[in-house]
Amino acid sequence: MAFVKLNDLEIEVEDGTNVVEAAREHGIEVPHYCYHPGLSRPANCRMCLVEPHVFFPPAGAIVPDRQLATGCTTVLRTAPPDRKLDGKYDFIVRTDSERVKKARADILEFLLVHHPLDCPVCDQAGECDLQDYSHRHGHDKSRYLEVKNVPPKKDLGPDVLLYATRCVVCTRCIRFADEVSGTGELGLVHRGSHDEIDIPRSHEGVPLQVLDNKLAGNVVDICPVGALISKDFLFKSRPWFLEKANSVCSGCSVGCNITVEYKADGVYRLKPRFHEDINQHWICDDGRLGYHYVNSDDRLQLPLKRVDDALTPTHWADALATITEKLSDIETEDIVVIGSAQGTNEDNYVLQQFAHDVLKTTQLGLFGQLPGEAHKFPQFTIEADKNPNTAGARTILGSANGNTVLEGDALWEKVSSAKVVYLVSGAPERPLEDAEKAALESVDFLVVQDVLPSEVTQFADVVLPGTTFAEKDGTFTNSTGWVQRIRKTIDPPGEARVDWEITQQLAKQLGGEMNYHFAGEIALEIAENVPGYADATHQKIGDAGIKLADSDQ
Amino acid sequence: MSDELIQIETPFAFNEENQREFNALIGRYPVKEAAMLPTLHLAQRQAGYITPAVMKYVAEQLEVSVMKVKDVVTFYPMFFEEPVGEYVIRVCHTLPCALRDCKGVLEHLKAKLDTDIAAETNLAKGTTPDGKFTLMKVECLASCDVAPVIMVNDDLYKNLTPEKIDEIIDNL
Repeated sequence: MAFVKLNDLEIEVEDGTNVVEAAREHGIEVPHYCYHPGLSRPANCRMCLVEPHVFFPPAGAIVPDRQLATGCTTVLRTAPPDRKLDGKYDFIVRTDSERVKKARADILEFLLVHHPLDCPVCDQAGECDLQDYSHRHGHDKSRYLEVKNVPPKKDLGPDVLLYATRCVVCTRCIRFADEVSGTGELGLVHRGSHDEIDIPRSHEGVPLQVLDNKLAGNVVDICPVGALISKDFLFKSRPWFLEKANSVCSGCSVGCNITVEYKADGVYRLKPRFHEDINQHWICDDGRLGYHYVNSDDRLQLPLKRVDDALTPTHWADALATITEKLSDIETEDIVVIGSAQGTNEDNYVLQQFAHDVLKTTQLGLFGQLPGEAHKFPQFTIEADKNPNTAGARTILGSANGNTVLEGDALWEKVSSAKVVYLVSGAPERPLEDAEKAALESVDFLVVQDVLPSEVTQFADVVLPGTTFAEKDGTFTNSTGWVQRIRKTIDPPGEARVDWEITQQLAKQLGGEMNYHFAGEIALEIAENVPGYADATHQKIGDAGIKLADSDQ
Repeated sequence: MSDELIQIETPFAFNEENQREFNALIGRYPVKEAAMLPTLHLAQRQAGYITPAVMKYVAEQLEVSVMKVKDVVTFYPMFFEEPVGEYVIRVCHTLPCALRDCKGVLEHLKAKLDTDIAAETNLAKGTTPDGKFTLMKVECLASCDVAPVIMVNDDLYKNLTPEKIDEIIDNL
């Protein structure tokens, strides 16, 4: 640990911490553009200048160093005993001296030389470092009277636009493409004040390569200004009108930490949230743009019942009564209950509890394995399993009551011979293979709980409208054994209900004694009954998640 | 994306002689990327100017992204991204040459060749219609003691006067 005097504070920091991070830990802002904790540090924006202090022998005193230093590359370490300042400090640095303040303001004046000051029409306004730092550290006027450069707006890829006029050439996006995605589509063209971010193009402007890798959306997040803009979010909302909830991406089994940004009328965007062991600062574009089904007009909003060969909207009481009637006089071995790798641990727990206590069956299935592809980048992996909770669902369905959990061919074989199947899906899209179709078609009475009309629902006799990750509380277990929380953001559409509540209602109708009130309560019971999940209560999981003890993958 | 990706119809490759030269120079650098400038010069000499096909080829040879090549090509004014004349005339207009009347040299060349001065992103502007000459202003050619100077392709001409310029151009 290094003992550092930071302004008037005496702090201890890990060796190797830079001044920007050390200050941030103690609530002191050192403004910066080019520095990003997940990328290399070129120290080219000069915004994070700080004032180190050194011992000056002729004066026999500690004085400010002759030059200011960039905080991002000034690394704090323990000094040898004879090099301590004042006999105890490993480093003395000020981030608030007049010299530092003047340097910041002057750098900002330079950065704004060619800036169009178009905040009123800029998507970034409200979450813009240029705006915020100008406000806090900048001059109130510019002395620049010459003509500003006006480079054109450019299309860089399927989801990314470049407003080159707003760019401060921090090169975060270039370093991201070089270091994290390793795809190298971005670079600087021209020289000096004409520098522009671009993709490789012919002289006429036709691209040779576009920014269309699966991590491309991250450059929009790390752009500190309004230069790189997501087409998906462009002009949709001012960021300050959005509510935010910490959640977990449901796009694959990596379990990237995200922030769901929403208004009452729907989800507006997903942003990555830092998690050191899972996704660092990033998410992939499949996850980022994969929320649209939540807001879809096609969402199932009412229960459906097959009447004269067509699925017809009905009300909950009728739908549940239909199922209850069917279930009450059927042999246990003719029923198969299938949980979902898209559902939360809580959904699956209540489902297996229902199967065990009410239907008295221990034969459960797991509906999952969306066909998908894995992608590997130098600093990021996208898993092939496109379900967020395969690991959790498998454990929860199986181990609480010693159930067997059938998957794949074994499951479809069982379904073929079953009379009644209660299948929970919840996947945005789930194409069926021929064998799966044949098995579902052969079922006498198929109950499907889903969020969208799909290949699965077309075989159903009753369809129950469930909820997506954005509409419920709960936990997912990722492929490396992290249990993490998702949070309810918006209300489910129409009459759709949280999946475990539907199962519980069904259980009650059939005389079961189930009485859960909220997801956290179910998690407490999971902690008690499922091996390995003892610490997986909502309180303990919090925002950071917990890693299951027996998973050291 | 509205734009289609560019299709490279005729790929570029070094001819035998340039391939030999490339093989020789690549060995002089610790990493392949460091050979960017000489490789681009070599390619430009062969192709006349840097086309997308050239950028792609150079990127493959040096094992870097195409963008890294484009980055360098747009940074240095010695690399051309559009066709230039057979003779590229570079007129120095940095201070010592300016004091020794490089403006006169430029005007004389403009009148003699009947062309304008090329802009960095519009070389056609300074190229004669017959494709023989391209006239451009450049920064210091490192011969301030013999100002004003011009460079015609790889040759430097010093202490210029209108008569000397006429002689140089007429002899090309």
